[in-house]
Amino acid sequence: MGRTVGIDLGTTFSLIAYMDPATNSPKCIPGPHGSALCPSVVSVDEDGKVIIGEPARQRLLTQADRTIYSVKRLMGRGVSDVQDELRLFPFHIDADSRNVIRVRLGDKLFTAPEISAFILRELKSWAEDYFKEPVDRAVITVPAYFNDAQRQATKDAGRIAGLEVLRLVNEPTAAALAYGLHKQKRGRVAVYDFGGGTFDISILKLISTDEGEIYQVLATNGDTHLGGDDIDNDLQRRMREKITELFHIDLSKQPEAVQRLRKALIAAKHELSPNDSTTLRFELPGGRLFDETISREVFNRWIEPIVARTMGPVKQALSDAKLAPTDMDEVVLVGGSTRIPLVRETVGEYFGRAPHSELNPDEVVALGAAVQADILESGVKTMLLLDVTPLSLGIETMGGVVAKIIPRNSTIPASAQELFTTGVENQTGIDVHVLQGERELAKDCRSLARFQLKVPPGPAGLARIEVKFLIDANGILQVAARDLRANEQRTIEVQPSYGLSETEVERMLEESIEFAEQDFSERQVIESRPEADTILHATEKTLRDPRSNELSADERRSIDESVAALRAAVATTDYKLIRRRIDELNQATMHLAEILMNSALQTAVQGKRLEDI
Amino acid sequence: MSVTKSQIDQTNTAASQACWSCQAPATGAHFCPACGKIQPLPAGADYFAFFGLPQKLTIDAGTLESQFHKLSWKLHPDNFVRASQFERTLSLERSSQLNDAYRALRDPIARVEYLLLHLGLRKEGTTKQQPPPELLEEVFELNESLDELREARADGGDVASLRRSLAAAQANFQEKLEEVDAELATVCREWDIALDKHADDAPVDEAQRKVLLARMNEVLNRRSYIRNLVASVASELAEA
Repeated sequence: MGRTVGIDLGTTFSLIAYMDPATNSPKCIPGPHGSALCPSVVSVDEDGKVIIGEPARQRLLTQADRTIYSVKRLMGRGVSDVQDELRLFPFHIDADSRNVIRVRLGDKLFTAPEISAFILRELKSWAEDYFKEPVDRAVITVPAYFNDAQRQATKDAGRIAGLEVLRLVNEPTAAALAYGLHKQKRGRVAVYDFGGGTFDISILKLISTDEGEIYQVLATNGDTHLGGDDIDNDLQRRMREKITELFHIDLSKQPEAVQRLRKALIAAKHELSPNDSTTLRFELPGGRLFDETISREVFNRWIEPIVARTMGPVKQALSDAKLAPTDMDEVVLVGGSTRIPLVRETVGEYFGRAPHSELNPDEVVALGAAVQADILESGVKTMLLLDVTPLSLGIETMGGVVAKIIPRNSTIPASAQELFTTGVENQTGIDVHVLQGERELAKDCRSLARFQLKVPPGPAGLARIEVKFLIDANGILQVAARDLRANEQRTIEVQPSYGLSETEVERMLEESIEFAEQDFSERQVIESRPEADTILHATEKTLRDPRSNELSADERRSIDESVAALRAAVATTDYKLIRRRIDELNQATMHLAEILMNSALQTAVQGKRLEDI
Repeated sequence: MSVTKSQIDQTNTAASQACWSCQAPATGAHFCPACGKIQPLPAGADYFAFFGLPQKLTIDAGTLESQFHKLSWKLHPDNFVRASQFERTLSLERSSQLNDAYRALRDPIARVEYLLLHLGLRKEGTTKQQPPPELLEEVFELNESLDELREARADGGDVASLRRSLAAAQANFQEKLEEVDAELATVCREWDIALDKHADDAPVDEAQRKVLLARMNEVLNRRSYIRNLVASVASELAEA
């Protein structure tokens, strides 16, 4: 069994964290580029090789049509859901996609969970390199306002990446967990999480009980299509209009130029957080320079409608929790977009108190995920999360009206039982349509699934099928049916409205293994060989030193044997064996290392390894 | 959304006479007193029993909440991540039942609705939409004012005076809602007193029981009618 980690699978960046037993606090794991932030970007090169993270982000500027970013916005969605924004993205969406979006990268099609799985695999490899141990289980965070299909897509991504997803945790709740641990706070907390692609607000109550701390979510709300991306898209639209007006250049056929512009305006947006004004410089195709100075005042006016859109969900969440803005003991800011001064001002003004942002808003969600992973893994429970379902669950009834069976903000797991019967004689099936949302009519809610309950022919109203709807601790719906007359369990074949089937996920898991650059053990062999060479080389060199004659015959024989054993191990592909032989040789040469040291220093370096001297 | 037969297979988890793990006699408790293993839900158990409460309608909110937290610590799926699939299923069943029960019992109105539902005297989602007879006249007037307001708005006419009369009507019905709530509280108290008598070994007065439940149902229907009325007036006023 391998390690368990916490993962923040973000729109712009993704992070992986673990609970450090030495300090009993969560820590983010840096990648090969030194940063803990892995850009959520995936690119496929001309040879079909998959490139992930920072190098993929570089390719946005040169290979825009083979590179995808912000894939989180496509998770659990159909083509019709994302029509508007697809115009701004350079991706090619397969026309036959319908209810599962397929993106063309090079000459291959990928679904959103597969692309997310590449990012998860990359993070997994960071952690494996860090621990020198396989990582196979994870807690993954999702926006609190994610619906069933978006959550299922995230869970599928985990499986495709070869991870057992122990739990999906809502991002604001994870942040509250990290904050609570950090500050030992009690009381009512509002978490305002404005990220790259999604917005969430969660109202929590932190309670001390004899058993430990309970983090109870009272209400949550949000918008899974509202984030820094919208600010970028708005800026892009304005700048492109200006460029067309001034230079009569239309960038729409030039994806690389669009990406360069996007990079420049994101940099300008970042500049405007600490500064009052900034200049956006962009070299147009053809060499002319587009130079635009933007003041924070103008920027604020532009983004005001986007920031205002976050306040509707905030008010709804408070009203659902039956609380007023001033009832909050703390307001916590999470997500990169909360660095924008207008966002901080708007939130501070509404709640009548300065919001907290002591923890790094980019890292705090991953840190919270690591805390929850540790809670689940260690079995030592001092904290308990009680989260809620963000959307009401309903079933379609006569006339397309939705009957709500589990209201939004119900603590999960939650369940509801419904009894179904036949309306006409000899009816052999009852159609059930499950939906999520707050609207009255089925056509205005999110369709989750349709299924048919099979019944034996008989008079109308005789059949009695009880269907149990259960939302589990991940916020994912499970359905089971039972024939009360025959007293037996019924299998239901559910056709999810959006998302992958079980068999598709299985197939993708197999394919992704082929795609994965190298698996963990291969990488370990590759890394352990140079280490073995270094110590073999150091040993040979020191054995030639005349001072090595102080070794006893036994000691020398033991070193010779260890050297031979390590050489034999390096010839294999067993990284565990190589590591063990390295350790043995280190052990055997301990005395030799001590001899080589100046006697005055000898005590100071006891226990040191030869290669360290 | 996922569907697998084993996940919430009620056939396999249905409560039996003995503990599934150690075969000690089943007690209906959350955990077997002999071996400590989580137990299936007994058939027909109600939300009150889940919290170890009698079917009384006066419940102290603080006590209920702390009991909810205590049971959450024990039953939540977090505690069963490494347990067998069967125990994970039981935890899912019991913890969802805990949350469902708490949701129904913590709210005084939902609590009464649940009791009637559980006793088969009320169907979920169905409320009689006829106006209560004593309110017929007022309801008729109100609906007329609402129509006038809609017309005035559509024609761009003067809505100010109509708004005033509607606001007055709304206040009137709001008052009626409070009266109904008080009435419901009275019936609930009578129900609790009747239950207490029964606990003191007095014979159950089935006739009184039926009368009280029927009254609760009637008051609830009236309440839901008035509440919908107040809500629709509020939304019309907000739009005007």
